Amino acid sequence: MASHDVRDVLNLPLDAGSRPAKKQKTNVPRPSLKGLAREVQNLGGDNPIAIVPELATFKKRRFGSRKPAARWELRPFRNSARSDQSLHLRHWRKQTEDQARAQDEKDGQNGDNVEKKPEELEDSGFAKFNVQVDIPQYSDDQYNSNLKSDDWTKEETDYLFELARDFDLRWPLIWDRYDYQPKLDEGMTNGEGADSTDPKTAVVPASKGRTLEDLKARYYEVAAKMMAVQKPVQYMTQAEFALHEVMANFNPVSETKRKMFAADALSRSRDEAQEEELLLVEVRRILARQEKLNQERRELYNRLDYPHTEQDINVFKSSTGLQTLLQNLMNVDKTKKRKSIMEANGANTPASAHPSAHPPNHPNSTPVSETRRESIAASSTGRRDSAAGERPERPAKKGAQPERKKLTEQEEQIYGVSHHDRLPSGPTFRYERINKILTTKSNAQHQRITNTLAELDIPSRLNMPTKAVVEEMEKLLNSIGVLLDMRKMNDKIEAEIRLEKAKKAEREKALAPPQPEDEAKAGESEETPTTNGEDKKGDAGVNGDAVDKTNSEAPATNGERNGDAAGESGQSANAESAENGAEDKGVQPESSNGHKRSASVLSASSDKSAKRQKK
Amino acid sequence: MSSQQPLPNTQQPLDVYGGDEVSALVLDAGYCHTRAGFAGEDVPKSVIPSFYGSIKSGDGEAATYREVFGDECLIPRADLEIKNYMSRSESVVEDWDAATKIWEHTLIKRLQPEKPTPPSKNGLNDPTEDGEGDVAMEDAEEQEKPLAENPLLMTEAPWNSGKAREKAIEIAMENWGCPAFWLSRTPVCAAFAAGKASALVIDVGGANTSVTAIHDGMILKRSIQKSPVGGLWLSQQIRSMWESNDPKIDIVPSFMVENKTPVDAGAPAQAKLRKFPFEIHQSFRAYEEERLLTEYKESVVEVWRGPGRYLNPGNEDLVRSQPGRVFEMPNGSNQMWREQRFRVSEGMWDETAALPTADSIAKGQTIPELIKAAINAVDVDLRPNLLGNIVVTGGTSLLNGFGDRLNNELMAMYPGMKIKLHAPGLTTERRFGAWIGGSILASLGTFHQMWISRKEYEENGAGIVEKRCK
Repeated sequence: MASHDVRDVLNLPLDAGSRPAKKQKTNVPRPSLKGLAREVQNLGGDNPIAIVPELATFKKRRFGSRKPAARWELRPFRNSARSDQSLHLRHWRKQTEDQARAQDEKDGQNGDNVEKKPEELEDSGFAKFNVQVDIPQYSDDQYNSNLKSDDWTKEETDYLFELARDFDLRWPLIWDRYDYQPKLDEGMTNGEGADSTDPKTAVVPASKGRTLEDLKARYYEVAAKMMAVQKPVQYMTQAEFALHEVMANFNPVSETKRKMFAADALSRSRDEAQEEELLLVEVRRILARQEKLNQERRELYNRLDYPHTEQDINVFKSSTGLQTLLQNLMNVDKTKKRKSIMEANGANTPASAHPSAHPPNHPNSTPVSETRRESIAASSTGRRDSAAGERPERPAKKGAQPERKKLTEQEEQIYGVSHHDRLPSGPTFRYERINKILTTKSNAQHQRITNTLAELDIPSRLNMPTKAVVEEMEKLLNSIGVLLDMRKMNDKIEAEIRLEKAKKAEREKALAPPQPEDEAKAGESEETPTTNGEDKKGDAGVNGDAVDKTNSEAPATNGERNGDAAGESGQSANAESAENGAEDKGVQPESSNGHKRSASVLSASSDKSAKRQKK
Repeated sequence: MSSQQPLPNTQQPLDVYGGDEVSALVLDAGYCHTRAGFAGEDVPKSVIPSFYGSIKSGDGEAATYREVFGDECLIPRADLEIKNYMSRSESVVEDWDAATKIWEHTLIKRLQPEKPTPPSKNGLNDPTEDGEGDVAMEDAEEQEKPLAENPLLMTEAPWNSGKAREKAIEIAMENWGCPAFWLSRTPVCAAFAAGKASALVIDVGGANTSVTAIHDGMILKRSIQKSPVGGLWLSQQIRSMWESNDPKIDIVPSFMVENKTPVDAGAPAQAKLRKFPFEIHQSFRAYEEERLLTEYKESVVEVWRGPGRYLNPGNEDLVRSQPGRVFEMPNGSNQMWREQRFRVSEGMWDETAALPTADSIAKGQTIPELIKAAINAVDVDLRPNLLGNIVVTGGTSLLNGFGDRLNNELMAMYPGMKIKLHAPGLTTERRFGAWIGGSILASLGTFHQMWISRKEYEENGAGIVEKRCK
């Protein structure tokens, strides 16, 4: 650089020939070293030793590099990050060469050679650090259509967003400076003196003390909505979607709670802090022990585990079979690492502790499970794999497709991916699912459900059975089922009450005039058929219910309650109740017994209906 | 070989410091001292007392007053009254005329080079020389405003009123013609001086003690806590203690002593006092007494380091058994100070220990309570961070043992929290903390975009300072 400067001083062209050669000379180690110096140098061999400073050059060099003092100038510059560009501050900068030359010339001539001012002022190198936070904007229309809130006026929302912009979303500062004064109504401002003050004070709502969470919740709500307005959720990029999710799911309540806990933690006394520390250590120890225990248990399971083979092992009984078995084993040993299989098996069979009942006919479990898998694949008998059969196949799948891309939540939403425990074979129509719910019910039930749907103005056949709609429909149908059940229960209990009342009346009648028992019986037996039939049906229905309950089946066979909807089952129930009455006559006066019996009889009928259902 | 050369100036290490100096001035006004200097330096070039002398000439109605500024002017002389342009209770400017004058004195007279007489007035330019004379005139007009080349950064107390801030920018822009101006809060600057953007600043100054939370370079207004427990209050305590001392101590400032002879400890002073042919104003005497008290504070007073309070049983006896410190008054009387030197400062921490003075303090005004109140007024998420970044600044915080006591009090108040005090050991860094922070701020390259420029001021009026300097 020294030579460069000297050339610069002497105004020589940059590519002066003689200088570089000289420079090279200083860099190359001097070839003619003598005596000890040479010996030392030779010690390094190919890598020359970096010692031997040549002191003589220092002095020379220092004088050689002496040059005129650099010119500095107070140069104005602008800063493009400023909102007004008029401010031109000045800082000291070294003069560049041509400027220096121009200066020289000017000094020399001192004539009318007016100094050229640089047209473009240099921009500050720090302007690029001016970054701004992106605060969502909204128009009045957008506010009115999307962002209205009971708690927040538009003015206050505007105020909040202005603060957010001012403080670049530093929430502690926003909260600290948040001081919203609701404006007075314009009508009030031109009020008439003393009179207007009263209504003013009455009308003006006291400015609410907003907590930090309130402010955040409002901001995130608006920001998330505006994001969704500008770009529907499906089209967002990964980052945008994540941001949207975070903002949409902001929960001020849990945040407040968290802060409360934090404040509590801050105000602990020394003892409490110590105790907590001790407890934490304890917990950590317990967890470590637990981990160890689990590990040991898992190992034990692995050791005890052996596959339940449902295969016919006869295949392997012949010598050729044994040969293939051996072959399989060898393959497995070669390809698979034992450990990964162990882990997979251990993870998949946490509950397979029962095999201890069987004598361990295969002491080494894992290879055998492999065999079975292989053999299943080999035999391919088309047998449906049981759950147990599927289990060990997992690692193989993993091995086959090691890097399946894991879809994120957002992508799943976009692509409509859903997970099922088990899929029915072949494609199905969604509305069939709904139909299935309806058709599995009895006719009467079906009828009632459709009636209820009609009441609700919902077509029983869906126009647009999307997944969400079908799910909702299913839910609806289920709740209708529950509703009908409840109604039925209600009727039943009412009927029972009525019956009991009737009986009570009967008994009173019987007690009042002392009559022989036979007559009472006869009276009762006469009474039962004469009660207006609904009773009996109700009774029958009740019995049927009892049966249902014991079977714990869904409301399948309950069509027999209402007389109007009675099909054949209703008739049969009628008949049975008649029978019932006849029996009652024959046996005991106490109704409870009669009930029991009728229940047993009716269970037969419900069985019948159950059979019908199956058909 | 090239490594032996110094770094070429064109390769400034921008990434390290980020400085880009535009010859800005920094002015930090306090109740006791006014500090001014160039941005980018580590100590203020000019530190003058905020007390100034007002010399009366003439009598009665026709009396005129002439102000003199600077330590060297505050000498015993006739008709000299000592005044202060700041308000004692608030540490904000009270007398704007005097403020303007004293600031001009420090910024222009002390920091700017002596300007040559403008060519229009020095008589060298012949009016017949047509073209160039005019050019020179224009230059002269441009240069008329004394600070036309220097942006100015001023500090202010965090509780400063909007009106005072507008007044400050008016003076800078109208009177001095600054191209750019900025107003920054004292605690923010002190935090910057400690290299922190978020901190809890404990500023124990001359007239006031304040605790303020700073978040990302801005004060949290709700956290501002202020109390008169500062250097002057401590002086009151010392006066009260001297008053009740046995033997009672008369305060004789140095300027009154002509000569003295050494005496034994506790013995009455033997000194010849000076006689002045004029009356010494009471305010001057008070100012001189304050200097004596300052010396006493610097050399004798100590803060009980804890643990616990000084008044806890046993502590006083322990101190009594320790070696004390001798202080010799200007008039030669001297005494050993043991437990008293702890006692006078204890009122800063424990209001029950404060000696009876004119302005007694309440419980909420002690330093631990100020800190507690400030911490409680900020969001709970910030508290741990603030406690881990406590900046101690202000001259009175240089009391012996102050940092230890503060640390002990904080540990007792917030057990289990990480508490870290940043208290520079260099006395200048503590005394001029706010100025140094302002100096750093004004020399940063990224700060250029913040300045309120002249044009912005002209467009928006003085109200812009409220909008910009939040």
